Amino acid sequence: MIRLRPEIISAIHAVEDPIDLHRYLQCAVELEHSTIPPYLTAMLSLRPGTNLRIAALIRSIIVQEMLHMSIAANILIAIGGHPQIDKRGFVPDYPGPLPMDIGNGLIVGIEAFSMPLVKNVFMAIEEPEQEIPIKLSAAEQGYATIGQFYDAIQERIRALGPSIFVHKDAPPQVIAPRWFAPDKLFPIVDPDSACHAIDIIKLEGEGTALDPFQAPGEPAHFYTFGSIVAGRELVVTADGYAYAGTPIEFDPSAVWPLRANCKIADFAVGSQARTRIEQFAYNYSALLNALHTTFNGHPETLDRAIGLMYDLRVLAVAMMQTVADEASGQTVGPSFEYVKTQGGMP
Amino acid sequence: MSYLDAPRLHFRGWFQADVSTINNDVRTFQNESFVPEYQQYNQNGSWNPEGTGIFRFLDCAVTGGALDGRALRTPADDPAIGMLVENADQRAPGKLVDLDPQQQMVSQIWGMQVRLLDAARKQALSGEFKPAPFCNLWQRQQSGVAMDQKLAANYQSVLEAIGWDEALDSPLLRALRDATQDGLLSIAFNVYGYGRDATIPRYTLGHVVGSIGPYLRGEPKHFVLGRQMVAVPSKQSPLAPLNGVYDAQGKFDGASLTLDLGNTLPIKSADTGFEDLGPLLIGVATTNPTTELTDVPASAVTVIGEVPYQTPHWYAQTAGVQSYDLSGNAQARSLLPGCPVLLLSPQADGSYKVLLQESLDGQYLRADNFVFRLDAGERADIELYASRFGTPLAGAAVALSATEGFMGGSGGGDKMTPPTRPHAAIPDIATPADGVAYAASASTDGDGRARVELSAAADGPGRPRGYIAGQLYGIGYQLSAQPAGYVSNPLNYISVLAYTKSEPPPQPTWYEHIQPLFTQYGNLYPIMSRYVVDLRSYNSVCTRLKALRLAFSLPLHDPNHMPVTRDLSAGDRATILRWLDTPGPDGLPLLGHPPMAEPAPKAVSSAAPEPPEIELAPLQSAGKTAFVLQYLARRERAGQEPGESS
Repeated sequence: MIRLRPEIISAIHAVEDPIDLHRYLQCAVELEHSTIPPYLTAMLSLRPGTNLRIAALIRSIIVQEMLHMSIAANILIAIGGHPQIDKRGFVPDYPGPLPMDIGNGLIVGIEAFSMPLVKNVFMAIEEPEQEIPIKLSAAEQGYATIGQFYDAIQERIRALGPSIFVHKDAPPQVIAPRWFAPDKLFPIVDPDSACHAIDIIKLEGEGTALDPFQAPGEPAHFYTFGSIVAGRELVVTADGYAYAGTPIEFDPSAVWPLRANCKIADFAVGSQARTRIEQFAYNYSALLNALHTTFNGHPETLDRAIGLMYDLRVLAVAMMQTVADEASGQTVGPSFEYVKTQGGMP
Repeated sequence: MSYLDAPRLHFRGWFQADVSTINNDVRTFQNESFVPEYQQYNQNGSWNPEGTGIFRFLDCAVTGGALDGRALRTPADDPAIGMLVENADQRAPGKLVDLDPQQQMVSQIWGMQVRLLDAARKQALSGEFKPAPFCNLWQRQQSGVAMDQKLAANYQSVLEAIGWDEALDSPLLRALRDATQDGLLSIAFNVYGYGRDATIPRYTLGHVVGSIGPYLRGEPKHFVLGRQMVAVPSKQSPLAPLNGVYDAQGKFDGASLTLDLGNTLPIKSADTGFEDLGPLLIGVATTNPTTELTDVPASAVTVIGEVPYQTPHWYAQTAGVQSYDLSGNAQARSLLPGCPVLLLSPQADGSYKVLLQESLDGQYLRADNFVFRLDAGERADIELYASRFGTPLAGAAVALSATEGFMGGSGGGDKMTPPTRPHAAIPDIATPADGVAYAASASTDGDGRARVELSAAADGPGRPRGYIAGQLYGIGYQLSAQPAGYVSNPLNYISVLAYTKSEPPPQPTWYEHIQPLFTQYGNLYPIMSRYVVDLRSYNSVCTRLKALRLAFSLPLHDPNHMPVTRDLSAGDRATILRWLDTPGPDGLPLLGHPPMAEPAPKAVSSAAPEPPEIELAPLQSAGKTAFVLQYLARRERAGQEPGESS
């Protein structure tokens, strides 16, 4: 189970001024975003035409993380805040801890897909408070979970009441039925809608304490990653749940041999590797810029952001085929650095 | 005014053109004979089969400028010097797109935003590059690494939707803002030294130098109505000029002469500077000659000034735009209105070799926009501008006629590996002849401008090219009273892609309507099919319906428009959108039934000759080099010299 410092939870509980709640919702936006780079890298590292089921499963999780980020940003907007997305500090410095030092020492990096990565990092990120059927041991109590982080935010929103919701002066929220179902991404107008939206984040990530499925046939993220590690889909059995469904094939030879945690500065100015990794980082930063605009009064910019997401995917192709190191045969992995200059050549 | 006027700024840096190269050979458009081998690196000259089409500036910065008669070279001269020249930072970069596999000599940039940023990355200026094709393609480089693109070209257009920082602290930029009109700016840039070798750092990259200046209402947007110097082609190639230097354009305003020599001088290689041509001078002839000059005595010219091309940083700081103050040269001032500008090389005996000369009698005619995409029944205006020694030529008769230009019979080398099965011939262009219509003659108004309506046939051209939709037409133009011996730029003709007419059916299905379109696109643009969505597969397409809906509904000028190649008719795009929007009972777009086996569409008219045999390096078997060589081969077959009017 991923944990965060309990003092954060106490601090949320102590919030009296809704403005003080803004920073925690900003943290929520950052947290929901922070898992996308590692998941995306793992997905992109799967060579085309192979490992299709795994790629589709990770992609479905990434799409939900984007939804969660949007929900958190909309709640922040609804209570008078302004999501800050186009900043260097918005992106974690991979490899490193997730926002709010969450994970009690868990270090998250940018690596090619591997079973240990899914098992040790991705499943750790998504681990529910009470994994079914394993119950929480007494020794692990005393830390807060992401679920508790959201519980605390819900509790404070309810306690502060409807008056914290800024209706007239708030910039428009991002409601995008083309991309997200209206029952998932809806206007946040009061404590009920905010708390319901947070329930969606919790449900899709960790699932409930009773049911690993967030929807029929669709396990919560933790169990989706679990099914990838187990090599079989999760199914309902007579006595509970089991990874005993359709096999999920993994071909380890069909993964780009990415060097982990590449940074722009690792590559010589003027080299192809430098050009490619800078282009990726610039495009990614442009995506954050577009999202910042989207969540700061211009929801229509979301379509541009979507275009950049697709571009990011094709830009990764040339990068991941560029040799980073002749000796090891490793190729260039993405860098999720926030950069403002379109460089790459001297 | 234009980028040749002050206030102006100059920039330099790199560009990336990550073009996709499978579609360099038209025969790859035949779905029935497409094989995966065509998508491999270096197959049939495809040196970048996974190209994205992205065109962008890299490490570009403002390097110089001109304001109030002063040259600006450092940030101390003006805070604009040193500003970064970048593209969009909130949307996808621009895309570089051929008009058609059979017309690759007018590649256009779509959807590119240009921004100027100060050291704090505050945006001083932003604008949208109005889509424009390159022009003035020539062999600028004689040596270099294998696979260097030795050709160079330039782009000239306007920036639209200009945004200025309210608190501009740059006098240059403030002056530029105040001088320009219609919310536009004039921009031109030269591209050269492009690398096609995947093993070098410069792969898909090249050098760019450019200029931005004011635009004035009523001016052409893609060239300067001014002094036009046109190089005489060599017998070897229309793109290899006789004297080794290429075209230049300029302006004489009565007090000074400004010339753009940015695409004029040859370079040694992509990584070095200019070839050493010795001292070069700009002069004006003392008479208006009736023929092209070769060598002239000193008495036949008035020297205006030197071309300081060997001065360090000159090219970087000026982009090759050089102004000559003529306040102390009354003779030049009096000669320029009626005599040609010359680029001169001094000889040991005191005479001059004329390397480049203004068009004969100063006469010049140019179509502003020269690339058109027309749906069935659509109309557009061809705008032609006539001038003599830079002054608008009123009442000039203009003649227009069909030309093949570099297009006819082109679009692939003589061999294709593996050979197409069934056979795919290189189609004829310009059939049927009545696919587009335009007046054969026109006359210029008081501003030297003639508008000629261009219209596509109401029913479109049909599908004369068989496996590839639409048809290409070329339109040549000239002044009816052009002097004998006049040298034209062989690239100055109009290219038209007339789309095949199609109406969206009420209920389009995958098998009948969508698969043929998507398969072609998936074959030719594998970066998409391999890594995002396999457009040849119904199931794969069904996983990305929303994204496809967005991309196919974006306007042509949006960088994310699909298809990237922008070669689908409005009807075909409407069919795709209707298919996406008309789900069946299962909630997915209609699948339909596989068609009965039909014979492959007849490729071309039976009269179409096979492409002329040309000698090409294995990596050149399609693309621009092939176009040039095929053009020469066809000319030779027709008994014409390069550069001769057809």
